[in-house]
Amino acid sequence: MIGCRIVLAGMLAMLTCFGRAAEPLKIGMVAPVTGALAESGRYQIQGAKLAVEEINKAGGMLGRPIELVIEDNQTTNPGSVLAFSKLAGDKDIPGFIGPIYSTQVHAMAPDIERTGRPVMIGATDPRLTHMGNPWLFRCRPNDTYSARVIADYGVNTLGKKKWAIVHSTDAFGTSGMKNLVEVLKGTGVEPVLIQGYTNNSQDFTPVALAVKQSGADVMSTYMTFSPDQGIFAKQLRQLGVNIAWVGSPTTVATTALKLAGPALYGSYAVSDFATDSSPAAKEFATKYEATYKSAPDFLGAWTYDAVHVLALAIENAKSLEPQKIREAILSVKGYAGAEGTYNFDQNGDGLRGYNIVKNDNGEIVFIKHIDFSE
Amino acid sequence: MSGIVSSEAHKPPTERRTGQGRDLLIVFIAAMTVVAPLLLPMTAYYLNLLMQASTYAIAVLGLTIVLGYTGQINLAQAAFFGLGAYSVALGTVSFGLPFWPALFAGIIIASVAGVVLGLTSLRLGGHYLAMVTISFQQILMLVLTNWISLTRGPDGIPGIARPIVFGFSFADSGTYLALCVGVLWVVGFCVGRLKHSKLGRAMQAVRDNELAAGVVGVDVYRTKVIAFTLCALFGGLGGGLFAGGFTYISPDQFGFAESVVFLTMALLGGVRSPFGAALGTALLILLPEWLRFLKVTYLAVYGGAVILIMVFMPRGIWGFLEALRQRLCPLAVLPVGRVAPLPLTTQVAREDGSIILEVNQLSKHFGGLKAVDEVELSVRRNTVHALVGPNGSGKTTLLNVLSGIYKPRNGQLFFDGQAVTRLLPHERAGRGIGRTFQNVRLFTAMSVLENIIVGAERPGNEVTVGSTGVEQHALAALDFVRLAELRNQTVQSLSYGHQRLAEIARALAGSPKLLLLDEPGAGLNTVEKSELVQLMKRLKGHGLTILVIDHDMNLVEQVADRITVLNFGRRIADGPQAEVLRNPEVMAAYLGNVKTHVAP
Amino acid sequence: MGIALQLLFTGLGIGSIYALVALGFVLIYRATNVVNFAQGDFAMLGAFSMVVLCIDLEFPYWLGILITVVAMLVFGALFNLAVYYPLRNRGFQPVIISTIGASILLENGVLAAYGPRPQALPSFFSFQGFSVGPIFFDSQYLVILGVTVVMVTLQYLFFERTLLGKKMQATSQDKEMASLLGIPVALMIMLTFIYSSALGGLAGILVAPILFVSVGMGSSIALKAFAASIIGGFGDVTGAIVGGLALGVVETFGSAYISVPYKDAFAFIVLVVFLLFRPQGLFGEKVAEKA
Repeated sequence: MIGCRIVLAGMLAMLTCFGRAAEPLKIGMVAPVTGALAESGRYQIQGAKLAVEEINKAGGMLGRPIELVIEDNQTTNPGSVLAFSKLAGDKDIPGFIGPIYSTQVHAMAPDIERTGRPVMIGATDPRLTHMGNPWLFRCRPNDTYSARVIADYGVNTLGKKKWAIVHSTDAFGTSGMKNLVEVLKGTGVEPVLIQGYTNNSQDFTPVALAVKQSGADVMSTYMTFSPDQGIFAKQLRQLGVNIAWVGSPTTVATTALKLAGPALYGSYAVSDFATDSSPAAKEFATKYEATYKSAPDFLGAWTYDAVHVLALAIENAKSLEPQKIREAILSVKGYAGAEGTYNFDQNGDGLRGYNIVKNDNGEIVFIKHIDFSE
Repeated sequence: MSGIVSSEAHKPPTERRTGQGRDLLIVFIAAMTVVAPLLLPMTAYYLNLLMQASTYAIAVLGLTIVLGYTGQINLAQAAFFGLGAYSVALGTVSFGLPFWPALFAGIIIASVAGVVLGLTSLRLGGHYLAMVTISFQQILMLVLTNWISLTRGPDGIPGIARPIVFGFSFADSGTYLALCVGVLWVVGFCVGRLKHSKLGRAMQAVRDNELAAGVVGVDVYRTKVIAFTLCALFGGLGGGLFAGGFTYISPDQFGFAESVVFLTMALLGGVRSPFGAALGTALLILLPEWLRFLKVTYLAVYGGAVILIMVFMPRGIWGFLEALRQRLCPLAVLPVGRVAPLPLTTQVAREDGSIILEVNQLSKHFGGLKAVDEVELSVRRNTVHALVGPNGSGKTTLLNVLSGIYKPRNGQLFFDGQAVTRLLPHERAGRGIGRTFQNVRLFTAMSVLENIIVGAERPGNEVTVGSTGVEQHALAALDFVRLAELRNQTVQSLSYGHQRLAEIARALAGSPKLLLLDEPGAGLNTVEKSELVQLMKRLKGHGLTILVIDHDMNLVEQVADRITVLNFGRRIADGPQAEVLRNPEVMAAYLGNVKTHVAP
Repeated sequence: MGIALQLLFTGLGIGSIYALVALGFVLIYRATNVVNFAQGDFAMLGAFSMVVLCIDLEFPYWLGILITVVAMLVFGALFNLAVYYPLRNRGFQPVIISTIGASILLENGVLAAYGPRPQALPSFFSFQGFSVGPIFFDSQYLVILGVTVVMVTLQYLFFERTLLGKKMQATSQDKEMASLLGIPVALMIMLTFIYSSALGGLAGILVAPILFVSVGMGSSIALKAFAASIIGGFGDVTGAIVGGLALGVVETFGSAYISVPYKDAFAFIVLVVFLLFRPQGLFGEKVAEKA
């Protein structure tokens, strides 16, 4: 009897202890749950949730469990602004995970600056970390690096100099193309074909023919949507074009592989995420696959890393004050994430290199990592 | 709102005071909404939401004009919105202009685009016009995305500056929102007033019955072009303010999907009223926000909600509320007081045998069918001239050629000594040709009086001295046909006979020299017909010339001075009544009770 | 030369997809005077149905096609009852918005139910296609062209040679007159929707292996199909087919020889030219309003 009461009292005490400490710490996330990029949104959320679970199992952040608060940006710019400002209205959110699409981040930027709290982004437009906004922290290498890695691998390793570039005319594709052209010109290579196309073209015959006719011996692609990727790859092969292919990370996105099948075999891609690129990546891949029953790609990897980096920074700062968190993020050096080793520079870029991977009969095989950390 | 068009002086004092009171209330509410963002602290979320809502609402008001008032579908509003936005963005960021000139330039550019689009409406309507607007929309989007050297392409334009007025900066979101709301109220006010202006009535006439509008004196084409221009103008204005509000734009925001959003906002709220525009915009911006909790399914729910609202509230929400109000407080039949008599006598001549309308060798073919075959006809001043013939003999076709609805294959028309063969319908109305139709063509969404006023507003009508003059004139026309008491009723509530009379009043309000009546007796009972006969005699007595088509030989006999008979498109008889009615060829061609009514 | 032929084949292939969807548009328009903005989504539903049946449930293709067609017939009836029928007397604007709402509902309903990931549906024949010289003939395109020809022939025979077909034609030309003649107008319209829906679903089934199956696949085709039907002559069935094929060819050649990013513009530029100078399209009749 007395024993019971002691246990009960003990439980109550424990509960009150936990009750106070267990108040969750919220992390806001702006992601496309609906709209054209809903598919990528799903993977990004999965990666973030995986990180949140891990952190909570290890005791949370500053002793408190974290909770992910997700707002849908509907894949539009005004939607992103509204989603972010809604989250930002909650003063208890110390940090945010932003979108992966550059124009959406641009749209949010004024509000982010006004709010004055850190936002981890996956968008690759280089300008985002060079426009004087102190609250953007990039957890993926930006387009200047993808361009340099592609150029380096194609020219130096594969020894090809006649480049064709096929890109979507949206912000992602155009930015990627511009950066690649600039880097190539820097090494004295003038592309023989630069071919833009509008997203969701149902037919790529003219593009494939253009590539064939240009006499290129190597091709780079920046394609946003996997159906486009799939149709293009198939039609290219149907026309008998088998030149070397070094594409953007979307070339090895899970769905692109599924849709294009054999048409993408033998292609190379730069990918910020590759399972075999590091032990940390491998660990992440195993956990992700166990939880979600499918192989991860860069979409889940970067949010996984972003949540971890943010949590790490908050732990290091031992405070929820934005300025302190900011400084802590910038001081993150040598953090082994799924996407690579993070060394944040003064602009807020955490990664400065890419992996080269190859599609070997459907398997994504890690070739090497090229890094440009100064 | 099919409001009561009355000059203030004629309203009873109590009505005047409640009208003023209502206006004051609206002004007060407007002031409060403008001041609120300045005084109340609002989170960034609500400021952004309201900025989006207010700038979108301005664009939707453009649709109120072109679709609600004029009845033309425009699926390119996002393109105009984009033109305004890009003008402000490029103007301030690339060309270093201050905000206001950039906005002004944006409005001009959008308006010019609107003119161009409007010009294409010359021969197109309905779905075809919709497709032209869609094409314009798609092409513009592609240009904005791909003409990178000018527009910076898909990356968009960040860092758009907000305006500064005499050192007072609008950079603060609350202040900027107040600006947007203020502009919205001004635009809403203008759009509301437009409805009861001459242009507004012309627009509604085009929407309700384009054919009749032209014949009654409305320059249909010009009205449509103006409608498109105004729509584009407000679209550009909204877009420019939007750019300043969000300080970043990219081309993917101005695509066809967005045009559909604007259209849906207009239709859901109620496309015929500025309040409806605001309501629809608010609803469609807030609804996805309220439905956020539904996570993935909310857009599906939203789509379903759109269908339900369309099914159960076809005039949109505001229209539904209005209909409710009208059912609860129906418009009274108002006594009319003293009305000055219709000045028909100033337009006219006495019967002197001179010819007012001459038709020479007129032909109209439809493919192989010769509907009108080399018809010659002369109508003498101040007479009643009847045009008769069996069904399909070409009578209405001839009248349509006279009105300018059809272009003749051959032949000439002379009216009052001048050639009118090439004139458009509204130009003929401008010369003094009035007309009624076989199937009554009144403007169904306007009140009886407003219909008559449209007639009075035909070009060249000397009566149009200020709005009071027009209204009085219209009232006089209505009084002439003894319908003045029903002036505020809706057209649909009138009996068929009264509708016919209203149509005649509309034609009379245009101070015509010649009145073309197409089967005015159709559908009337005997009593109404004899009243019609009396009316025609009165009109003749006032000096008017009438050309009337009718099947009822009884009626024709009672009024006609001369008769022209058509059969299979050809004229088979023409002359004074008595002569024609005895003509054996006429009797042979015409099945009817001619024989029993021929005077012994 | 080889290139031009390749472009021609692909152009006709894409064009026949437009043609099939345009056919559905035209039929509904002729019967009800309404443009159905959800027509493209019928194709999307057909494609998703195939994915669910043949990939997830692993039914054989012939069974999947059969079930899908039947399902689309039923869906057409439901669509008519929910979206068109309550608004049939209200003029075309509310109906247009209603069909737009339906389109949003369908796309997001499927998104919510199935998820955002695009799916692949293997071609019907494991035989991919064959090359003649430098030109590749994709087997699926050949199937589409073939089926289109068959459908058009069957449809022609149905509308011109059977009594039911003539009744449906009569309804579409003059509803009031048809009903005075004792033709059950509401039933004819229902049949039109049912048939159009099945046609749309069929287009989706055929197109799925080429374009992959995603929630938005229908709307991108639909707008161009609509343009094609106007170019062909809105209201005319032959026009829809010819317009669709012509549009596919113009687009393909335009993007190859002029500009790929502006590919979509060609369709609309051609459309505007037609609308300004020949609004009745290639085969349509001029429609005059009775005064």
